[in-house]
Amino acid sequence: MKIPRWLRWRSDAELNEEIQAHLELEIQSNLDRGLSPEQARRAALRRFGNATLVRERARESDPFFSLETFVREVRYALRNLLRVPGFTLAASATLALAIGASTAIFTVTYRVLLNPLPYPDSARVLMLDFGNPTANLPSGFRSISSQQYFQYVDRVRTLESVAAYQVDDLTISGAGAPERIRVSRVTPSLTAVLGISPIVGRAFAEDESVPGAPAVAIISYGLWTSRYGGNPAILGQSVNLDGAPTEIVGVMPQSFAFPEAGIDAWVPLALTRAAVSPGYLFTAVARLQDAATITDARAELTRLTNELEAEQPGNGYRQFVSTAVTLIEGTVGRVSTMLWMLLASVGLLWLVACANVANLFLVRADTRQREVAVRRALGAGRGSVARLFLAESALLSVAGGAAGLGLAVAATRLLVAFGPASLPRLEEVRVDAVVLVFAGALTALTGLVFGTLPLLRSVWTAPSLQEAGRTNTGSRRRHRARHALMASQIALALVLLVASGLLMRSFQRLLAVDPGFDPRSTLTFQVGLPPVDYPGRNRVVTFHHALLDRIAALPGVTTVSATTCLPLSPEAFCFGNTLAIEGRPMQPGRFPRPVAQRAVAAGYFAAMGMRLLRGRDLDRADIDRGEPVVVVDEAMVAAYFGDEDPIGRRVAFGYQSNNGPWRTIVGVVQNTVTTGLIELNPIPKLYLPMSTSGGPDLPVSGLVGPDISVMSYVVRSSTPPLGLVAAVRRTIDEVDTTVAIARIETLQQGVDRAAGQAAFTTVLLAAAATVALLLGLVGIYSVVSYIVSQRIGEIGVRLALGAEPGGVTAMIVRQGGIVVLAGILAGLAAAVAGSRLIASLLYDVNPRDPTVFTATTVTLFGVAMLACLLPARRAARVSPVEALRAD
Amino acid sequence: MSDKERIQLLQGTLDLLLLQTLVFGPQHGHGIATSIQRSADDELLIDHGSLYPALQRLERAGLISSDWGTSENNRRARYYTLTRAGRRRLVTETRKWETMVRVISRVLKPGEAQ
Repeated sequence: MKIPRWLRWRSDAELNEEIQAHLELEIQSNLDRGLSPEQARRAALRRFGNATLVRERARESDPFFSLETFVREVRYALRNLLRVPGFTLAASATLALAIGASTAIFTVTYRVLLNPLPYPDSARVLMLDFGNPTANLPSGFRSISSQQYFQYVDRVRTLESVAAYQVDDLTISGAGAPERIRVSRVTPSLTAVLGISPIVGRAFAEDESVPGAPAVAIISYGLWTSRYGGNPAILGQSVNLDGAPTEIVGVMPQSFAFPEAGIDAWVPLALTRAAVSPGYLFTAVARLQDAATITDARAELTRLTNELEAEQPGNGYRQFVSTAVTLIEGTVGRVSTMLWMLLASVGLLWLVACANVANLFLVRADTRQREVAVRRALGAGRGSVARLFLAESALLSVAGGAAGLGLAVAATRLLVAFGPASLPRLEEVRVDAVVLVFAGALTALTGLVFGTLPLLRSVWTAPSLQEAGRTNTGSRRRHRARHALMASQIALALVLLVASGLLMRSFQRLLAVDPGFDPRSTLTFQVGLPPVDYPGRNRVVTFHHALLDRIAALPGVTTVSATTCLPLSPEAFCFGNTLAIEGRPMQPGRFPRPVAQRAVAAGYFAAMGMRLLRGRDLDRADIDRGEPVVVVDEAMVAAYFGDEDPIGRRVAFGYQSNNGPWRTIVGVVQNTVTTGLIELNPIPKLYLPMSTSGGPDLPVSGLVGPDISVMSYVVRSSTPPLGLVAAVRRTIDEVDTTVAIARIETLQQGVDRAAGQAAFTTVLLAAAATVALLLGLVGIYSVVSYIVSQRIGEIGVRLALGAEPGGVTAMIVRQGGIVVLAGILAGLAAAVAGSRLIASLLYDVNPRDPTVFTATTVTLFGVAMLACLLPARRAARVSPVEALRAD
Repeated sequence: MSDKERIQLLQGTLDLLLLQTLVFGPQHGHGIATSIQRSADDELLIDHGSLYPALQRLERAGLISSDWGTSENNRRARYYTLTRAGRRRLVTETRKWETMVRVISRVLKPGEAQ
């Protein structure tokens, strides 16, 4: 591209004319001094200096000049690159991979960890959290009681507003098939705390949380569009929520996902001062007063909580210390290590890629030394030669960056689609301007990193034309940069290999964890009975028995049972209470360990594949007669009985229930996991016959056990479990067509989901390590090959003088091996130093696990030596005659 | 005098010399070169070519302006003229330069301080 003449500040022709005029004047004055015409011309030229350089310098000061040169140089660079398609393809693919991976992981990290939550002034929104130092719990207790809630609402000064909530599953019916939906019961103050209002309709009024108020609900944007076609006329209409007519009063914005993604509706949480209870049933968020800090809020919350001890001694209030965190910290805190780790590992991968391409560039720069020398000799300035190289690296990194951005978009979609369910805010991840800026900046940095290195060598230390013209054996100094790059590639690859090795081993351990049940070949699904149609416990039990009997008769089904809460369910703890033991008076000030309670149908342990350790199972007769019997697990025995024999002892729900009603322990089963596969301290559990537990007519606060209106069925079969789904649906319709089922999955899928986050990290890190290893190998191979090709003359001489081919191979391998060893040592040092950072992601694996370190080191050393050996053997096969002729 | 005996110009002083030369009226490139050469008694090593990028730079900075004119040998040549801004710059730069020379000399030869 040529800049139009009228746009230019001063044309080349004008400058040429000026220079010409100058020279003529100088020649004239020389002639006047008596020189011969020839002498006068030469003296003038000498006096003028390098005219080309002058023109170039003058042109450089023209604003349009740089654009013009830029275009010219880019075109020249493009031609050069297209002349070596192999190099160009390898380099840009490497860069695309590194930039793509880094950008994708950055996108996720940025969206999940760094981007503020989508609430106004979200840094002032807190999540209440407590620690109990006396129980060795520094923080992480996220539950509060209604006593605490009203204590804070009435007295707190450092908080502007407080909201409590819990998550529940309900059946929505009327206008469409019955559907199990996920709702959050929230106090009306939630909209004030978060600062978000419905896009259509209104928020809850304060009096709508009073028991007996007309039922209202706000629905999510998703439910609004999927179930009601986004029709605003839905406002004011009545739907059935668990059978109760409920008016829809609002629709939340699309981006609103509180407290988690996948909430379909919000209903008022019925809390009254008249009926406060000590049960830790709610989670709470709050907004800080403008003048208050989080430290102030913590101090005040601790004081207010401790003051509740007088009202409810022994409930733990005195021991609590507030460890409130910002809502974003509370939401994403547990995944931050993992994401930073992944970002660090793609960062390392990026460095390996840069080193690799820099190496390719060094080789290319060396082969072009003659060209550079010629250019310099013809008067090209350092700047213009530098620009020549920079144009090539810029082109390559732009090509790599563009392809990398495409890769990043695809990879981000994959990450969102297959990311673990436990990764919060995944639904917010998308490619946007921030990501584009990041990719652009990374591309520029990449070009600079691998572009300047060869530049330093070829331009500033450019050899004279004479030197460059000689094909020689290559000086030791010339290989130093290459060797340094090769060693650092090995070091970086080793760090990634060790990290992924540790994670893989940890993952292996994780998969080997015994969940306490047999997840194979078992279908689970949840059934919820609307309280309107099933108002009493007896009707609920009758329904469950009718369904259990019909499912048991289906072909392929071996056993079937039901529970109020499956291990690894999203509700985790689900329901529980402390226990009183008959004949053991309550110890003042000691808060006994809460025990999770599960109401079950007969044969639950058999259906789950849990081992009964002592005593007997709960059978149909227990349920039919409503026997006050329970089965407990090992953790419960350990927490309450120690070495005493629990069989025959009697327990009551609630540690203050010193007068019963008593239930007799008839059996002990093995522990199961509850919230996740890794539980250092198993949660104690108690199983009771469903006919003796809570129901729609028996309030949860009545200390009778969980509500059996919602039960998860467990169907063990001899056929593939998911094949039973259609038959199960038909069977339910036979019993009652208005009943919805949800969460259809196998037990194994539940276990896999629990391992999901670990699997996610492991797979991504393993991929990064593999790519780094491959790039490292390519790097080693190309460096050794290049060095061999440079030394071909020397090798020829050695062979001609009688050196053994084996000796030549050994010499080259030995020299490569020293570099490989240096890289491995550096990598080991870095891996050992960095192992502390990965420790929190590991389960049951020492971050300096010798097996992992040895295995990865040996593997890397082995393949690295192989990469040295191949070119070395080729060198030894060289014919001395040809080698010498080549020189 | 051979090139080796001539002294190299200090970085940044070329502009000062160019501005000073133009104080006496418009001048073309060659004229400026000879003028500097003559006043420096031929002791300075300046590639005549190096004047042109410097002149363009000064012109872009608005310190000098230029126009085509006719030279002694009746050839078209570009004449450079000092602008008001250039004149002001020359005064400040000269003052700076004199201060510097004074200070440096005082340090190098303390006994001869004026």
